[in-house]
Amino acid sequence: MPALMNTFLFVEPLQHYLEYGTRVMQEIVRTYRQPGQIITELIGDEANKEKIKQELQRLNPIFFFGCGHGNVDVWSDECTEVFMRVGDSEVDLMKERVVVLNSCLTAQELGPAIIDAGAETYVGSKEEFWFFVGDAPGTTRSVQSPFLAEYQLEASILQGKSTGDARQDQMRKYDEEINYWTFGEGKDHPNSLELSRILGINKGISTFLGQSTVSPSPRPAILASSFLSPQIVFAVPALLVVYMAYKELQK
Amino acid sequence: MSRELVTRWFSRLASGEQDLPLLISEGNIYTPRTALNEVMRSSELGNKLQALIETGRFGTTAYEEEQVAKIRLRQILQAQSEKPLFATLSGKVFTPSQLLQEIESNTAIGVQWLNNEKTHMSLLVSAR
Repeated sequence: MPALMNTFLFVEPLQHYLEYGTRVMQEIVRTYRQPGQIITELIGDEANKEKIKQELQRLNPIFFFGCGHGNVDVWSDECTEVFMRVGDSEVDLMKERVVVLNSCLTAQELGPAIIDAGAETYVGSKEEFWFFVGDAPGTTRSVQSPFLAEYQLEASILQGKSTGDARQDQMRKYDEEINYWTFGEGKDHPNSLELSRILGINKGISTFLGQSTVSPSPRPAILASSFLSPQIVFAVPALLVVYMAYKELQK
Repeated sequence: MSRELVTRWFSRLASGEQDLPLLISEGNIYTPRTALNEVMRSSELGNKLQALIETGRFGTTAYEEEQVAKIRLRQILQAQSEKPLFATLSGKVFTPSQLLQEIESNTAIGVQWLNNEKTHMSLLVSAR
């Protein structure tokens, strides 16, 4: 069965410094989720291999996001438990999905293997992904900034954009954050020099593979479910048909 | 092009960037602040540095660029307090001195930071 549109699975571990990314993603999901979307977040202890497999099979989501430690051929979930390695059957679970792994190095081998397994799109990093841990998770722009840029892709996809358009938004957001710390209001912050470098590195290693035209949450569906009652959704086309028939009769 | 362009360029930079080495002329390295002072004095060196800024170049060879990048990162990291500040999604955590050790030793991580620093230097010198 094809993966289900408007259905999202987010894997958000907390241990081993992963709370820095998870706090930002939780806020993004809270801010940008739309009516009609089915969104499941596996947070902390729930971000384990068994639960992820169970939810992939139960939900069959079009969109899969995983924050976790990784290497060239492996991605792990909470407490660095290995979820999938190149050659594992778990890679096949990514088939037909848009897959984002916020992780180090997976774009070298695991990302291409995910595409080979039939995923629509893969986004990840080909080298080390960096973040700042000088303050507590979620407390300052310094610790959020690398993830705000990286997770713009998810923010845009939740708002109905295609993978390609979301990717462009993500790159723009990187430029915005780099500009903020290099020339903007943040330039004289005590850690601005480090943050501009971290963002520059992460932007340079970000990798997009596969289809750019997939819209996991197509915009008309969001608009219809957000602003229009079902009666209006059907009434507008019906009125158009009546109007066109009337014009034809007038000829 | 004019001295005003150099003044505007200098003021766009973060205060921490204004005293990091960036430009090379005849084998010597200069910070943006020195460049500004020389341009304001209309010295011969100032004219050379102004020409670099106007054309968005450092005036260095690839080897020199890498050396300048290393000096810059050394100065940035040595100015920070020694506590964990940097982490990666492969599970590594670094204090400034630990990260600097990677850079000085040209490890894969060090090379990642050095290459990015060269890109960042281009961004700075061509800022308008």
